[in-house]
Amino acid sequence: MDFTSVFGDFTAMAPLIILLVGALLLPAVQFIGKRPTATWAVALLFTAVSLIVNMMMLTDGTSYTTLDMYTYVAFTGIMVLLFQVVLFLAILVSNSSVETTRLHVGAYYALLVGATTGMMFVAGSNDLLTIFVGVELTSISSYAMVSMKRKDPRAAEAGVKYVIIGGLSTALTIYGISMVYGLTGTTSLSAMSTLVLDMNWMMAVALVCMIAGYGFKIAAVPFHMWAPDVYEGASSPVSLFLATGSKKMGLSVFIQVFLVTFIAGSVLGAEATEGLQYLFAIIAALTMTVGNIVAIAQTNIKRMLAYSSVAQAGYILIIMAVASEYAVSAGLFHMFTHVFMKGGAFLVVGALICAGIGEKISDYRGLAKRSPFMAAAMMLFLFSLAGIPPLAGFTSKFFLFSSAIGGVDGVTSQWVWLAFIAILNSAISLYYYARVVKAMYVEKGSSDEKIVVPKAFTVAIAICVLFVIVLGVYPQLIFDYCELAAAAIF
Amino acid sequence: MIPIEYFLILGAILFAIGAYGVLTKSNAIVVLMCIELMLNAANINFVAFGAFNDDIIGQAFVVMTISVAAAEVAVGIAILLNAYKMRKTTDLDDAELTSMRW
Repeated sequence: MDFTSVFGDFTAMAPLIILLVGALLLPAVQFIGKRPTATWAVALLFTAVSLIVNMMMLTDGTSYTTLDMYTYVAFTGIMVLLFQVVLFLAILVSNSSVETTRLHVGAYYALLVGATTGMMFVAGSNDLLTIFVGVELTSISSYAMVSMKRKDPRAAEAGVKYVIIGGLSTALTIYGISMVYGLTGTTSLSAMSTLVLDMNWMMAVALVCMIAGYGFKIAAVPFHMWAPDVYEGASSPVSLFLATGSKKMGLSVFIQVFLVTFIAGSVLGAEATEGLQYLFAIIAALTMTVGNIVAIAQTNIKRMLAYSSVAQAGYILIIMAVASEYAVSAGLFHMFTHVFMKGGAFLVVGALICAGIGEKISDYRGLAKRSPFMAAAMMLFLFSLAGIPPLAGFTSKFFLFSSAIGGVDGVTSQWVWLAFIAILNSAISLYYYARVVKAMYVEKGSSDEKIVVPKAFTVAIAICVLFVIVLGVYPQLIFDYCELAAAAIF
Repeated sequence: MIPIEYFLILGAILFAIGAYGVLTKSNAIVVLMCIELMLNAANINFVAFGAFNDDIIGQAFVVMTISVAAAEVAVGIAILLNAYKMRKTTDLDDAELTSMRW
């Protein structure tokens, strides 16, 4: 179907425009109707329409451009699809969760939808200005959503922490961008990749500021300390949204700005580009190691999942060092499987909170008897995160690590050590995932009473389980599109 | 014409003062003010580069930064008010309460 007759020059932004209209309408819907379920249904409807439009544009394969600043190519399509899936899961469970606000329902859904619009805006941006505005739209909406949890001082504190860290990262980024602008005289990424610049102290300051600023957004070590507190303080649907959606936005910026423009475009000359690759390799190795090792000591399951999320970002950062087309498609595929496995794990935590079970790992004792479905789903998600075949996490990690090993043309790449560290880390992570499984299946709980969780949670968890299994045995479903996406930008 | 180095040094000094404040001050409102200082340091850079390169994008960027900074502070103060209701203080690292810094 052709959308140009409806959206004209703005066809590239069609999925965004639909969501933006939704974000503006939702508070009004709540104000007039005063029924949270109706508002929820409208939010879900807008997400579904936007999802369908994007699927049509993605399978159609045409690329569009709006004003030289926003381009819709396969890469944009696949990232937008990812954000829409995250949004769909987060909205689906928000109405039945006991943690989400009951006072500001309209604002809550509007912020959720608005934040996703920001992410989608970033995914297609071809200019540092639009990337900056999109990132801020997402960040500022997220600050408010984190503090919107009901009656919990932890949420209020996490909100303040998130605002301050977020503000610091914004300031660092914008200072870095101003330096890059001074050196290149442009903010357009495509114009920048045609230049050849010297590596001087000013460029170094600019790159360090930008990597630190966006590093905060993806919670890369050493900029990760906010993530556990914020994911713990926020309500589970918002934690899911931040851990799977917001983090992917940061990674999308890393791919667009640093990987495609600076490393692949070789703006800085061969020597400095290799230095940049080594810097990212070190950040990736540190991020996965610190994330996994600190996760072992956690007793709160949300904090444990947050640290494991830090580690997963480290795995994806491998692609920044390897910088090949295959690596990018593997990274995109891992982002997708991460949505279903980490999102699913957060959904199980949220569902159990609704059923009155706490966030401590010790609260999960004997869960297999009390709710066989929840325990089985949690086990699947955790084993998938650890990378056990035939689940989705194994397939995506296999692609990702094999891209670092290389060997396609008989030559082993220089990043084998990075793959080695990553595999070692996967083994470490199995320890703390298995601990939760042990608590659920082996240890005896204090009660054998059956628990009931809201239906929306069951549906959302079932969707995640389905995709974790399907993507494990039939990765081509998404991987084909990831390859197209990597070919489109690389 | 004033040499561009003067603008860049002013920007760098502002940025350093802001960063120092964010890292050391304990009052959340002062920390938000310091973040503003850091953002304005970048704005000075943008305006200076825009004027010296004879390019309009620099000034357009500043308008965006100013509006983003305003939105961020508005949301930040509201969140701070929410936290103040529960903690009765805007101190980030109060000895008796959990730290809100990092």
